[in-house]
Amino acid sequence: MKPIPVKTIGAALLALFLGAARAADTVKVGVLHSLSGTMAISETSLKDVLLFTFDEINKAGGVKVGGKPYMIEPVVVDPASNWPLFAEKAEQLLVKDKVSVVFGCWTSVSRKSVLPVFERDNGLLFYPVQYEGEELSKNIFYTAEAVNQQAIPAVDYMLGEGKKKFYLLGSDYVYPRTTNKILKQYLKSKGIPDSDIEEIYTPFGHTDYQTIVASIKTFSGGGKACVISTLNGDTNVPFFKEFSNAGLTSENCPVVSFSISEDEFRGLPAKALAGHLGCWTYFMSIKSPENAKFVGDFQKWLLAPKVTGTDYTVAGVDPKGRVTCSPMNLSRMGVHLWKQAVEKADSFEVDKVRVALVGQKFKGPAGEVVMQENHHLVNTAFIGETLPTGQFKIIKTIKKVAGEPFSAKFLGAN
Amino acid sequence: MKSSDYISAPPGTGNPARREPWVVAFIAVLGLVVLPLMNGAVPEGSAFHLSTFQLGVFGKYLCYAVLALGVNLLWGQTGILSLGQCLFFALGGYALGMHLMLMIGKLGQYHADIPDFMVFLEFPKRYPSSGGLPPHWIPFRNPLFAMVAVVAVPAIVGAAFGWLAFRSRIKGVYFSILSQALTYAATLLFFRNDFTFGGNNGLTDFKTVLGYDVNLPSTKRALYIASAVLLLLVYGFCRWLTTTKFGLIQRAIRDSENRVLFSGYATAHFKLFVFVMAAVIAGLGGALYVPQVGIINPSDMGTDKSLEAVVWCAVGGRGSIVGPILGAIGVNALKSYATHSYAEQWPYFLGILFILVTVFLPDGLVGIPARIRSIASRLRPAAQPTEPTPPAAP
Amino acid sequence: MRAFRVPRLLVLALLFLPLLAVRADDAARGKLVRAILSEDAAEQVSLVRELVAADDPLVLQSLSAWRLGNLYLWSPTDGTPAFPFVLDGAADTDGKSGALRISDGTALKDASGQPVRVVVSELTVADTSAKLRKAIKTVLDLRAVGDPDVRVRIDAIVKLGQEQEAGYLPDLERRLAIEKEPTVRRSLAEAIAFTKLGGDDRAARIAAVKSLSDLRAINSLAYLRKLRGAPATVADAELAKAVEAALAVLDDYERWGNLFGTAFRGFSLAAVLLVASLGLAITFGLMGIINMAHGELIMVGAYTAYVVQNLFRTWFGTTGAGPDLYFVAALPASFVAAAAVGLVLERGIIRFLYRRPLESMLATWGVSLVLQQVFRHIFGAANVQVGSPSWLSGSYVVSDVLLAYNRIFVIGFAFAIVGLTYLLMTRTSLGLQIRAVMQNRAMASALGVRTERVNMMTFAFGSGLAGMAGCCLSQIGNVGPGLGQNYVVDCFMIVVLGGVGSLPGTVSASLGVGVTDQILQPWLGAVMGKITVLAGIILFLQWRPAGLFASRGRGLEG
Repeated sequence: MKPIPVKTIGAALLALFLGAARAADTVKVGVLHSLSGTMAISETSLKDVLLFTFDEINKAGGVKVGGKPYMIEPVVVDPASNWPLFAEKAEQLLVKDKVSVVFGCWTSVSRKSVLPVFERDNGLLFYPVQYEGEELSKNIFYTAEAVNQQAIPAVDYMLGEGKKKFYLLGSDYVYPRTTNKILKQYLKSKGIPDSDIEEIYTPFGHTDYQTIVASIKTFSGGGKACVISTLNGDTNVPFFKEFSNAGLTSENCPVVSFSISEDEFRGLPAKALAGHLGCWTYFMSIKSPENAKFVGDFQKWLLAPKVTGTDYTVAGVDPKGRVTCSPMNLSRMGVHLWKQAVEKADSFEVDKVRVALVGQKFKGPAGEVVMQENHHLVNTAFIGETLPTGQFKIIKTIKKVAGEPFSAKFLGAN
Repeated sequence: MKSSDYISAPPGTGNPARREPWVVAFIAVLGLVVLPLMNGAVPEGSAFHLSTFQLGVFGKYLCYAVLALGVNLLWGQTGILSLGQCLFFALGGYALGMHLMLMIGKLGQYHADIPDFMVFLEFPKRYPSSGGLPPHWIPFRNPLFAMVAVVAVPAIVGAAFGWLAFRSRIKGVYFSILSQALTYAATLLFFRNDFTFGGNNGLTDFKTVLGYDVNLPSTKRALYIASAVLLLLVYGFCRWLTTTKFGLIQRAIRDSENRVLFSGYATAHFKLFVFVMAAVIAGLGGALYVPQVGIINPSDMGTDKSLEAVVWCAVGGRGSIVGPILGAIGVNALKSYATHSYAEQWPYFLGILFILVTVFLPDGLVGIPARIRSIASRLRPAAQPTEPTPPAAP
Repeated sequence: MRAFRVPRLLVLALLFLPLLAVRADDAARGKLVRAILSEDAAEQVSLVRELVAADDPLVLQSLSAWRLGNLYLWSPTDGTPAFPFVLDGAADTDGKSGALRISDGTALKDASGQPVRVVVSELTVADTSAKLRKAIKTVLDLRAVGDPDVRVRIDAIVKLGQEQEAGYLPDLERRLAIEKEPTVRRSLAEAIAFTKLGGDDRAARIAAVKSLSDLRAINSLAYLRKLRGAPATVADAELAKAVEAALAVLDDYERWGNLFGTAFRGFSLAAVLLVASLGLAITFGLMGIINMAHGELIMVGAYTAYVVQNLFRTWFGTTGAGPDLYFVAALPASFVAAAAVGLVLERGIIRFLYRRPLESMLATWGVSLVLQQVFRHIFGAANVQVGSPSWLSGSYVVSDVLLAYNRIFVIGFAFAIVGLTYLLMTRTSLGLQIRAVMQNRAMASALGVRTERVNMMTFAFGSGLAGMAGCCLSQIGNVGPGLGQNYVVDCFMIVVLGGVGSLPGTVSASLGVGVTDQILQPWLGAVMGKITVLAGIILFLQWRPAGLFASRGRGLEG
């Protein structure tokens, strides 16, 4: 009987010691994604993957600065899809919680709303979702796809397939408008006349696509037509249901969507989407040891979501049918890039980390990425065909595409 | 609808209301003098120091409180429930935001004279004569013009809509739904990039206000004080209105518009005047809100935001004048706290709070003392009614 | 057991592939291998074109793999020349797969004679150019002209026609001679005419224009319009005349089609609006409850459809009856579920607010916040998939106008529930009581009507209608926690526009808004169309402040 109490006491002391050590050696990191309101539908998954990544890093020994390991301690807030609240929460994270870095935002407007806050309080934000570019802040690192890493490769592919008519369909906000503006210029430079480009927008939450699908039907009547869709997640369901009911298929008029990733696919009519295309810098179906590990570990983690080292239990996770997608992969890579930069700079100070980030390399699930001086990644672009299973079959790989936020630069090159 | 039964008596008739001026004076001193001093004069690190961030958040609440007073002027005092007050709030915000955008000058991404979004949307091609600036933006270079517009634009839109609606005697829930339609249409319009107000991204990344750096603590403090002063003025105005004959007619319209009409009053004119006043109040609130939060975009004028403002009013206690202020600050403070500490569960708190307040506290938070008194007096009918509860103050 | 059959078949097929190879067309394979290894793009294309005649399944499989980037090159380390191969079956979980050599159809083996398992991600893809891919596609299309499936056949024929390549004419004409299916025949005739129109033979071109016009080939409209302006056409009077005549016919045909299409789309949008707002017409219109949670009741119905669908899938399998019949059960289930939620709402909250309608709006708004979050927690924040039964997918085509089955269903459904509601209100004693209570509660109560019970039933009925609407809308739109928000503003607008408390009003308002919206959309676009409709509603209510059908009840006057 005797050895047991000794062991227990020892373990308790050790735990106490470790606990104390833990409490001292943590680094706070902010997670700024909407968990309620209209954007929760997309952003909740990013919160999950971020917490998973923190756990992944903590289990591997945390972030090492000055020879000491620091555990990542997440501070999760809910900006509730409310843009002024985004700014308030960002400032709260920076000023009150004094986080070293923030991972967050999905919509452009949320990024625009927090940008002044990050510049004023000299914070660090990693932004993981494909966007329209035309922005460069010294305090933001854009792991996201720029237009030339997503839209341009997709259109190139369509041109290569012999498509001559382009129907640009988008939700009525800045990302689609700007992307389509760039694409129109690009298409013109490739010899597509204005009369063969149609540009149509629908309001947010639009549910009636009858007229638009009828006009696509007419538009594609002569063949060689495709649809470039920048519809945001929610409105894709009524669109694709209408589209497939009208007898349009990927064979007679393929749709390339920039806003549908594996995660959105969970709520989409699989049959209606089969064969249509997507373009991202990551697909869950990529075959690489790094990706197999990412997907496997993430799905395992979801069954018991918890951030070790700081004892952060994650609420509201439904592990059923969860997938990985490009914004999730980019979120995770952002965390790893930040960790590497911190270790290189040997400091959590924003100004030092910022310098160390440039040139940082990470071998991610989709191959190696490099952070460039313009705060965008050199990444691999993939074109994928959607399968009825909700996965993408990769049909084209474009290696080493350097992200460029300003369209004037890459359009000028053509 | 008979609404008179459950609205607290007008100020000046009840015991707590008589104390109201003192409470307000106390809060005004606290808000106008103590808080800014705690931020500006108390050194950082002291227990009494108030961070600039916190002050900025309070400033935002004050603007919301101004908006709530506008809602209350319409709903609590005149019986008109508008679901479009945030439209006017946003219009005031946009008017000042346009000026702030033009003051960015060459500090934007493109180092151009016109705001960034105009550069990449190729406005110089659309408006070559003015270097890309749409003609209606040009006068906003002048700060005075912008300030006039802050008042005038909501007033004109409010007058036009109000005239149409009140002239044909649209009232009650019809008016609410109609104002919602107006707001919805306006939101859709502002979402469009072609509408020249920055589309969904709205107006953002301001650098200076009247020449002062918008990010300096002193500027933030000044904006906070301005909001507090505005709130006090609007409070004073609303309160004064209740003591006038105009206020009496307002209440009469609220309680039975037909009787007022039959007594020979042109109720439509009264209502129109109140509606325009409420629009102007909302616009002023919005104008001060924008430099403090740093962004204005179409979702700020959405129908759900307007409904939220109505809810603040109801939670605080419509009909009284302190109630809406209390509601706006209280609900938003709760929201700020809960979205940080209970990120996953907070909509439950808020939703249940709204339900409970509307069902069980028709007079809102300010009605709690009266409730307790009435319950107490019912429990001890023989006992001398004493005053065990403090007045309705935070 | 069924689940096992398919892979086994696949395995069998793969096992027999080498056997087939024995009878295979070695010449065709040689050509394909040469084409793949060739450096000369023109030679590649011409070699691929020659493969049209090949019957070897491996050649066809390889061609389609090549086009999709699934054909790989193997460079042996021993210095022998590189050769192409395709994967043998799908990759396993490690990303490894067997490989088949194209030249002889045998499995790739390593030095010890064991079949090689290649790691797919590390292979060298045999690259293609756009021209080449197109050539391959054409070969595959030409072969698909003889496919047993009618749809595949039509798709391939339409594709080939659009190429306007005279070289395909013999294939198309050969098929026309033996084709029995009238729809395919029409496509063939259209493709042939369109191809001839692109040729040089003047007489044939004029005949083609004539036949396109006779065929009402609406897909050739854009081409003909371009042709009208072309200098060559202007120079040739006879051709120009034929084109003009054809365009007159086709334009006319298109105009009527558009008119008919717009009418149908207008009715269908009207039906959607009507279905969504009918429940509100009861709870708000008749009872005066400003139910901001109406949208969430719709959502309850839609999620019920989701749950029922999943239950059916577990009970009856994922093919056949399961996905096809669940909808029949989902409709009543969604009515019951939403009615139950409505009942709880009425008993728990709304009954305290009958005398304060404007405040019912605030309380129900709180309810909508809570309900949204509840569903987000139960079903996740993402949208869920509600499949369409096969009898609701696809469309019926009437002279080039599409009538989608799900749209037709919604229109029919709208008629049915309006009819039933009308009968309930006018022909049953419950309906009589409801009307009595809504018109004068005190009097009804004095006459012995149990007003509390009637209120409860009415609200539950209205909620149930909203639930059925949700089930119905799951066939058209998305199902997620935000579903209700998309509809609630429109619903209120419809009820107010129609006149609060008037069923015919709600019906005509839906019709008016639906049809107007669809008429405006092609001109103004979806966004401006919607704004115009909203402005129209505002102005209309100036003229008729109480809506289309003003009720004379006590209603919401006050």
